[in-house]
Amino acid sequence: MMETPTTTIPAPSPVAVPVQRFDLAERAIRGLWLLCALAAVGAVLFILLFLVLDAYPAFAEIGVVPFLTGETWSPTSTPPSYGILPLIVGTLLVTTGAMVFSVPLSIAVAIYLAELAPYRVRAAVKPVIELLAGIPSVVFGFFGLVVLVEWLRVSFDVPTGESLLAGSILLGIMSLPTIISVSEDAITAVPRELREGSLALGATRWQTIGQVVIPAALSGITAAVILGVGRAIGETMAVLMVTGNAAVIPDPITNVLSPVRTLTGTLGIEMGEVAIGSLHYHALFAVATVLLLIALGVNLGASTVLHRLNASATGRGGPRRLAAVTGRRHAGTVVAVLVTALTAAIAGSIAGAPAAVTVLVAGLALIAVVPRLSRDQVEKGAFLLLYVAVAAVIAILAIILFDIVSKGLPALSWEFLTEGPRDLGRAGGIFPAIVGTLSLVAGAIAFALPLGVGAAIYLAEYQRENRLTRVVRSGVDLLNGTPSIVFGLFGFTFLVIALGLGVSMLAGQITLGLMVLPTIIRTTEEALRQVPQGLREGSLALGATRWQTIRRVVLPPATSGIITGTILSIGRAAGETAPILFTAAVFSQRFLPSSVFDPVMALPYHLYVLATTVPGARENTYGTALVLIVLVCAIYAVAIVVRDRSHTTMRL
Amino acid sequence: MASSIVKTTAIVAALALVLTGALLVAGCTGTDDGTPTSTPAPGTQVPTTGTASGRLSVSGSTTVLPIAQALAERFMALNPGADIQISGGGSSVGVSAVGEGTADIGMASRELKEAETTKYTTLVPVPIARDAIVLIVHPSNPVPPLAPGQIRDIYAGNITSWQDVGGSDAAIVLVGRDSAAGTREVFTEKIMGTVNTTPSMLEKNSNGAVQTSVAPNPGAIGYVGLGYVDATVRALDLQVNDTAVAPSVENVKSGSYPLSRELFFVTRGEATGLAKQFIDFTLSAEGQQIIEDEEFIAITR
Repeated sequence: MMETPTTTIPAPSPVAVPVQRFDLAERAIRGLWLLCALAAVGAVLFILLFLVLDAYPAFAEIGVVPFLTGETWSPTSTPPSYGILPLIVGTLLVTTGAMVFSVPLSIAVAIYLAELAPYRVRAAVKPVIELLAGIPSVVFGFFGLVVLVEWLRVSFDVPTGESLLAGSILLGIMSLPTIISVSEDAITAVPRELREGSLALGATRWQTIGQVVIPAALSGITAAVILGVGRAIGETMAVLMVTGNAAVIPDPITNVLSPVRTLTGTLGIEMGEVAIGSLHYHALFAVATVLLLIALGVNLGASTVLHRLNASATGRGGPRRLAAVTGRRHAGTVVAVLVTALTAAIAGSIAGAPAAVTVLVAGLALIAVVPRLSRDQVEKGAFLLLYVAVAAVIAILAIILFDIVSKGLPALSWEFLTEGPRDLGRAGGIFPAIVGTLSLVAGAIAFALPLGVGAAIYLAEYQRENRLTRVVRSGVDLLNGTPSIVFGLFGFTFLVIALGLGVSMLAGQITLGLMVLPTIIRTTEEALRQVPQGLREGSLALGATRWQTIRRVVLPPATSGIITGTILSIGRAAGETAPILFTAAVFSQRFLPSSVFDPVMALPYHLYVLATTVPGARENTYGTALVLIVLVCAIYAVAIVVRDRSHTTMRL
Repeated sequence: MASSIVKTTAIVAALALVLTGALLVAGCTGTDDGTPTSTPAPGTQVPTTGTASGRLSVSGSTTVLPIAQALAERFMALNPGADIQISGGGSSVGVSAVGEGTADIGMASRELKEAETTKYTTLVPVPIARDAIVLIVHPSNPVPPLAPGQIRDIYAGNITSWQDVGGSDAAIVLVGRDSAAGTREVFTEKIMGTVNTTPSMLEKNSNGAVQTSVAPNPGAIGYVGLGYVDATVRALDLQVNDTAVAPSVENVKSGSYPLSRELFFVTRGEATGLAKQFIDFTLSAEGQQIIEDEEFIAITR
């Protein structure tokens, strides 16, 4: 018998693995993220509480039902009437119109960028579209008032171009960058294996895109559309400049050239002038409350619908799937016919009966012919539409930029950039406003980024999908749909007055931070979800703790998505007027702010005052708009460089 | 992977540091040297003999803001130690800011409302200027001077075509201010009376926006303050008792142009210190001249 050689295995060294310490640190970190998530919900509840407190006297005196269903909003007539039905209808119509305009266009462009565009084209076009997010809402409103409204009035030969259509187009354009960016991130994140598998089975590229990639990216696209809807519902400045603000219900309802008034427009236009403590004042807070509830309802509805779509598309719906698929084919035809009829009605209201008939005939012809085309013909047609969509978006951006640059360039000079304003801003420069905007944005991001990323980490990593996450997510969506002017009011009554901060940079930074918090939370959460589960499992299998896994394995690939969210937020924070109107901004002061408790000048506010209050300042108005866009571009450029570097090093 | 996160964090932190650093340096420079960010208009003698100093915050009506700004620039040129901060937001924001103590002077283009005087019992309004409200139309609109009764019918929605008041055959597009604006209140009080405005009137949130809406639209009519009438719009005379009265400074002073109102600075209690000095400057001859240069109407002359 041979002696089996024995290798001595050294006894394991008595390393005291500090299990207790790990647990405590882990729990503390988890608690920290939980606090962040709850803070987001807390902020929403707090704002809602403030609103309801001030709205209650109006509901008590006017009565909830007469308030909601009354057809006349006229608080200063004799006798005053406080019916907000026309306002609710206006908001719904404008938002729907904006989404009809924006969602197909955005998803088409996102598909193009993610699937069809060569790498160089994508690298060039994506930042350019994100640039649209940096154009301030006041500039959009100004552009809409001066160019779009006039074009509508002349083209369709109507007494005035200020209408539902103008508002929808403008809001649609403003939501484009949000929906495109987030959708594109979602589509890019779909694993290659899915595409390769589909193509290997013999599907065309369009079939792969339409039936494999898009359904797989549906949750990200849902998030994108919800962010876009929130942007549209909550927009104040641009919409109050171009919709005419006449509190009437269009007659018939498809008359898109009728002026309308939205809930946000009412707040924006009346809040500054109403007497504090009067019934009109309380009625406006009631309007804000209704607006928030509508935003919540829209979000919940959209989530439910898309949740169902998601389930049927990815087979999570269970045995009903087959019925859903066959039902869907017929449902598709029915929907197409309805859409054609609606488009025909709208075309008729714009251009008369011949237009309506043309649209109807063309639509029905398309519905009959398309299912009978070959796969390759369908693919060619679909790709053609995608190219047209991209061309349209670039054309829109080009028109707006050309308008601003051509009218603003004459105002630029070294003096304009380094000196303070003189003669009410008609002469001199905007240096203090530049400094003010930079510090407001820096502060807002410093406030929102840690809080937002923390909340998103908790939602995505530490919790299964349960009631708590749904509550937090609803809270975040509600915050997203809050109009910018409501943030401004909350900031004024709570931060400036109740907390005693006074009109200060700090109050402005916190208000702006609250405003961009939902964008950061949503985009971060989506970015975290897109990291493949296998990575997490591998890391945990190797013995890493939850937090170690997140920090070293999950966060790095998600960085580019987080930066996308930060970019969108920077653009929003830099360009918003309403939140800083009552909380941080002054039109002029002698010195630059010496601490965060001083008020600041800010570019969007300066622009707003020049555009609406100072006669004869047209050139400097455009110059200010141009500087603001260039500033946002510069910040973007840095962020994009950072994102691209992290993307290439993290590419899996 | 870890080193790239470190690099990313480092770049972001560096950026934040640079921004904060720039701000602090700029802030220090601003305060220590007293370098003004508003420079006096070129060519003026600056007799920096004034001794007023300190910080004053002025907030409120956007109609009054141009006047306050012009006055502040001159006052600060005369008094290098004074820092006057001006912001808009609307008459109500100004009044509540003064009432709550977040501003020293509130600007109002209307008189104080009952709700405001009940809530803030020590408010003192000081009239500092007068403003005329002018009806404007497109420069090509040939309509003759209108009587107040005709204007009332137009804004009530009873007259819908320019032809009915002596103009061309085109639909009338009504442009006005939001329902709580001081400008609209004066318009309602002096023209509409108890007749309600038609809901299809387009509402704008400032004088400038009304002017921008009316200027390109041949069928539009609107009302703005006198300072907003320029070559892009045509001001209508008012037909008062068979005389066409033009909206001019002289006619407002003489009282023959009926659409005028007072503009106010509001303080908490009687004004003291820097606020009093500023208000005294506003009511002085030089201050009133500045007001007239901005195309408003002086109050004490």
